[in-house]
Amino acid sequence: MSGVLRLFLFQARRDRVTLPVWILGIALLGFATSSAVVTQFGDEPSQAAILTLAASNPAFLFLRGLPDGTGVGAVVFFQGFAFTAVLAGLMSTFLVVRHTRTDEELGRAELLGSVPLPRAASLAATLLLGAAANMLLAMFLAAGFVAAGLPVPGAVGAGAAVGAVGVFFVGLAAAVAQVLPSGRSANGAAAGLVGAAYLLRGVGDALGAPAADLLHVGSAWPSLLSPIGWGQRVRPFTSPDLSALLVLLAAALVLAAAAVLIRRRRDVGASLLPQRDGRERAGAGGTSFVGLAWRLQRSTLAGWCVGAAVLGAVAGALGPLVSETVSSVAPLKELISRLVPGGQAGLIDVFVTALLGVAGVFAAAAGIQAVLRMRAEETEGRAEALLAAPATRARWLGANLLIAAASAVGVSGTAGVTAAIGLGLSGTSSGPAMSLVPAAMAHIPAALVFLAAAAVVFAAAPRLSVLLGWGMLATGLVLGEFGELFGLPVWLQDVSPFRHSPAMPVEPFDPGGALALAAIAAALAGLAAYSLRRRDLTA
Amino acid sequence: MSAATQPVIETLGLVKNFGRTRALDGLNLSVAAGEIHGFLGPNGAGKSTTLRVLLGLIRPTAGTARVFGLDPWADPVATHRDIAYVPGDVSLWPNLSGGEVIDLLTGLRGGADGNLRRELIEEFEFDPRKKARTYSKGNRQKVALIAAFARPARLYLLDEPSAGLDPVMDAVFRRHIERVSRGGATVLLSSHILSEVEQLCDRITIIRSGTAVETGTLGELRHLKRTHFRVIGLSEPARLAALPGMHEISIDGAVAEFDADAADLGAVLAGIAEPGISGLSVAPPSLESLFLRHYSDRTESEAR
Repeated sequence: MSGVLRLFLFQARRDRVTLPVWILGIALLGFATSSAVVTQFGDEPSQAAILTLAASNPAFLFLRGLPDGTGVGAVVFFQGFAFTAVLAGLMSTFLVVRHTRTDEELGRAELLGSVPLPRAASLAATLLLGAAANMLLAMFLAAGFVAAGLPVPGAVGAGAAVGAVGVFFVGLAAAVAQVLPSGRSANGAAAGLVGAAYLLRGVGDALGAPAADLLHVGSAWPSLLSPIGWGQRVRPFTSPDLSALLVLLAAALVLAAAAVLIRRRRDVGASLLPQRDGRERAGAGGTSFVGLAWRLQRSTLAGWCVGAAVLGAVAGALGPLVSETVSSVAPLKELISRLVPGGQAGLIDVFVTALLGVAGVFAAAAGIQAVLRMRAEETEGRAEALLAAPATRARWLGANLLIAAASAVGVSGTAGVTAAIGLGLSGTSSGPAMSLVPAAMAHIPAALVFLAAAAVVFAAAPRLSVLLGWGMLATGLVLGEFGELFGLPVWLQDVSPFRHSPAMPVEPFDPGGALALAAIAAALAGLAAYSLRRRDLTA
Repeated sequence: MSAATQPVIETLGLVKNFGRTRALDGLNLSVAAGEIHGFLGPNGAGKSTTLRVLLGLIRPTAGTARVFGLDPWADPVATHRDIAYVPGDVSLWPNLSGGEVIDLLTGLRGGADGNLRRELIEEFEFDPRKKARTYSKGNRQKVALIAAFARPARLYLLDEPSAGLDPVMDAVFRRHIERVSRGGATVLLSSHILSEVEQLCDRITIIRSGTAVETGTLGELRHLKRTHFRVIGLSEPARLAALPGMHEISIDGAVAEFDADAADLGAVLAGIAEPGISGLSVAPPSLESLFLRHYSDRTESEAR
């Protein structure tokens, strides 16, 4: 046991910067959300207003969660839980894969495999670290809620709900790491499962049945397939249900035990899905910068496209269904007819618009990932071999930007096409379904600005490129999604390029805005090429 | 200066700072066309930094670097056209196969010679279908070497190229160096493996702390070399100290060890020739001794 403890401390030391950033960052977001709710929705009438609005808008339910009565705590939990749980899930999966499959792939696990400890000792230490990290996260979150003025028991329960979702994903990622052969594939699959949990919960919540008072919505069955859905059932601020926590922890235990069993029976470096051989020769496209960039991006892109396809299909196919569900409640129907121009058809549009907006974020993320891959190529020493060829840096940058932009287009297009197909199949005529394709594509210019900005950071301040590349997207997302909630000034919210994408089909297409965004992206790309020519390649 | 006599590589007073660290400190290096030039130095001496400057990957803080008479920072594309490069720490794309990486790297330079590629893969006993993440260090090195040799170049920049190769593969590597050299190519080979440099190189530059401390042919540097002796059964080992050209004598019972200067070998051999000797081993002349002595001397004199 002392060996496992020693490994635990060693792994914790390796994560001494990463984990505190995750934990404090998530706790801070929890605190900020609660303070914003306290200031903006302090009294019961305003809380009731926002809840009724949410109950009448399935897009709101899909993205945020289930309204669960008035009270500051309940409103905070409804607004922030799903998003916070996703962050806890990502923290947990990255943590586990980093210490298991990635270590094995890079040969570090072999070094530890020579010490007199059981084969699964390192995995056990990682599971402990994951549990400890989520426990700390639960405590800090609870402290943040209390500091913002929420009741103590509810705050503790809400923290525990997030922590339990995180612990579930610790177990899940441990199992995934036994199955897949590389750290990259394990990270991708585990993060994809976090996304799937969020989407399943979203579908279940959007299909949920509003109560007569319009202050509560009960979830539909798909939420029960999602750990985030289970975490939501804890309902810490209204009627706490700790059995939901137990379900999560039990599932985590089963997954972790399975991972340990597999690890004890397998060779170091082996995986349930083995590493296959590759091709002996590169294809026609495999000998150019563009071909390489495509080769490196395609599996990542496939992941984003699957996500966008699910999102699009949900938007298209579910839109009519959710609007029907909502409209079947008589008082809501009346409210909607006042709130949403166009009644039921308008409601579908609002739902679809919100989800296509999220697909726009996916598009930007896929592009940023392609741009930031250049930084990985540089730090891991491969760019040196590439740039020793008779080709300019601008060409290398251009090839990667081209693939990044193509990724953004591909992800947006996928979301639009699947939304159109979904809407078409659902048999509801709310305007031509094909109009959803341009609606999804309308977010491309904003996505291009993000990836061009990431390229500028890579060229001018390479050491900050990962931090700023993702940080800009996160900031854009927070400004867009939470800007109004936090009551930020309009000019600040307007910094986010997403704010300038037309919310089609609710709003008309804005060619001037799209052109302006595209021009900004092009200027940033030029600046990136200029700066990259002027700096040393860092090794 | 006419094109014929112009050095392929020439640096003058090359300085490169990384923050407060000075990686190159006034380096002068000249490599003539057609020669195999050894670039020797301990880890951290500035060998890889020099090669990166020569490729225009980093910009010198001061001084000039010319490759084929061109400034590699100002015109990397034209400079790279005839360069094959093997980086010191070969890092590959984990999800590409070795064959794909070879095709990529040669393709960016205009495409491999198909026969040469096949020969190299055979001679290096390399399996090009495995994903790069499964390759050992030696196999990653093979990828870089095959990519470098599979297409003719006028200049080969090789940064510790035989690291991780076993002796058989090292022989294959040397054979190809000799092949491209016969074809008139210039080779700059950085190394701290002295036997490699000794066997291959026409001229050698020794670099230390970013400065070239010695340049010349092997013959010119040979005067600095010493031969290591181990003798068992000398009747009066203490007499060794009286012989000319003796260094670092150590006596342990009947076993005596010492280094002797090349110029005094005759006198030394005569001095130890006596009936009681029961064992004798003489280490072949190697640059190792020169190398170690050179730097230990320098460090000592600097310490004083």
